[in-house]
Amino acid sequence: QMGGQNLRKEHLYKVLVIGDLGVGKTSIIRRYVHQTFSSNYRATIGVDFALKVLNWDSETVRLQLWDIAGQERFGNMTRVYYREAMGAFIVFDVTRPTTFEAVIKWKEDLDSKVMLANGQRIATVLLANKCDQGRELSNNGIKMDQFCKDHGFVGWFETSAKDNLNISDAANFLVKHIMATENDILKSVVPDTISPQMDSSRQMSCSGCFK
Amino acid sequence: MKWLDMFCHWDKWVKHHFQKVKLRCRKGIPSSLRSKAWQLLSDSQELLEANPGKFEELEREPGEAKWLDIIEKDLHRQFPFHEMFAARGGHGQQDLFRILKAYTVYRPDEGYCQAQAPVAAVLLMHMPAEQAFWCLVQICEKYLPGYYSAGLEAIQLDGEIFFSLLRRTCPMAYRHLKKFKIDPILYMTEWFMCIFSRTLPWSSVLRVWDMFFCEGVKIVFRVGLVLLKQMLGSVDKLRELQGMYETMERLRNISPDTIREEVLVQEVSVSV
Repeated sequence: QMGGQNLRKEHLYKVLVIGDLGVGKTSIIRRYVHQTFSSNYRATIGVDFALKVLNWDSETVRLQLWDIAGQERFGNMTRVYYREAMGAFIVFDVTRPTTFEAVIKWKEDLDSKVMLANGQRIATVLLANKCDQGRELSNNGIKMDQFCKDHGFVGWFETSAKDNLNISDAANFLVKHIMATENDILKSVVPDTISPQMDSSRQMSCSGCFK
Repeated sequence: MKWLDMFCHWDKWVKHHFQKVKLRCRKGIPSSLRSKAWQLLSDSQELLEANPGKFEELEREPGEAKWLDIIEKDLHRQFPFHEMFAARGGHGQQDLFRILKAYTVYRPDEGYCQAQAPVAAVLLMHMPAEQAFWCLVQICEKYLPGYYSAGLEAIQLDGEIFFSLLRRTCPMAYRHLKKFKIDPILYMTEWFMCIFSRTLPWSSVLRVWDMFFCEGVKIVFRVGLVLLKQMLGSVDKLRELQGMYETMERLRNISPDTIREEVLVQEVSVSV
């Protein structure tokens, strides 16, 4: 009875892309959405948007990517930008240590201003961008894993918008986490006593979660 | 000729025939005279004459590293396809650095805001660095006070005022934005802070700046209201914008067909 195309399940997720100025947030989004790279992007003033549509098994995922200005003074507007976000990328530039130091500050800002319906923090992935410009992090992998654990990131990726490295992997990883938490929320809002009804719908919405 | 005559007796014109000056700015300042006109309209020329050698003095100061760092990252990200700013380390980018740095020395309490760079770049397309610097000072302090300051409170406040003006002037657009929870700072921040320099087709930008230098911030509000009315002001236009994202897309990519220069200026002149 699921045959009709209009029954194809659609998800709309708002995903934030934040981090210090010049770390490559806009470049990552352009690479991911438009498959291009340029060193001539304009500085983002305020906020910019892009949409990526993914076919996720039998479902459709629409990722609304919010590209947020990196300068500290725009931090005063982040409450509005963050509203109703389901996931986030925090980006730093591997060639500039100060941008990594700022990651914690961005994470705290995020967690203090946005949370999911169940009170949990939104899924956040750390992106070590510009990895094409030397400075390997791979041998620091264990340290990075620990850093993510300590600061509540669901994972991290070395990315290069220039060389198109790991960006869609990172996005798929984030989407998987968002879907999982979405299902947790669906479960948690329905009391146990009526779980039989919930079970059927859960099976439907769950099918594509863990590939 | 009319403009040259006004230049010769500028104080008299502004004092006694301001309406006439205003009308001429609305008609558009001839491009060869624009630089001089902007400097006179903003009183930046007066400021420059009152502060001889000041710009050089500011330039000699080293400046604070935290600002220089950000400014340097922004130099190649302003009008990257404009011949003046295309070359890394070229004259345009050098001058941009000079005036943005000078401003952080001039007003260390204000420092640098990323939205100042496109404004400074537009000025540099029209005048030498020292003149552009004083013009920038006037924009930051007289025309748009607080817009670029640390807390960005002034721009957020103007966002709220803008939204309440929209309610009066175009209820349909207002209701639409409200329905999809599109807060004014999501679209007007860049419009207002950059005085539409990154938003409108170039010929319209210049016409807006001509009026802005003469009449001040109210022009920025009016242009914003006209744009929203043009893009969201009818049932027809709203039909295809059934969502927050679709609406933001429309507002962020204003096609030249949406708003022709003449229509824009005409509407701005009569609105409110």
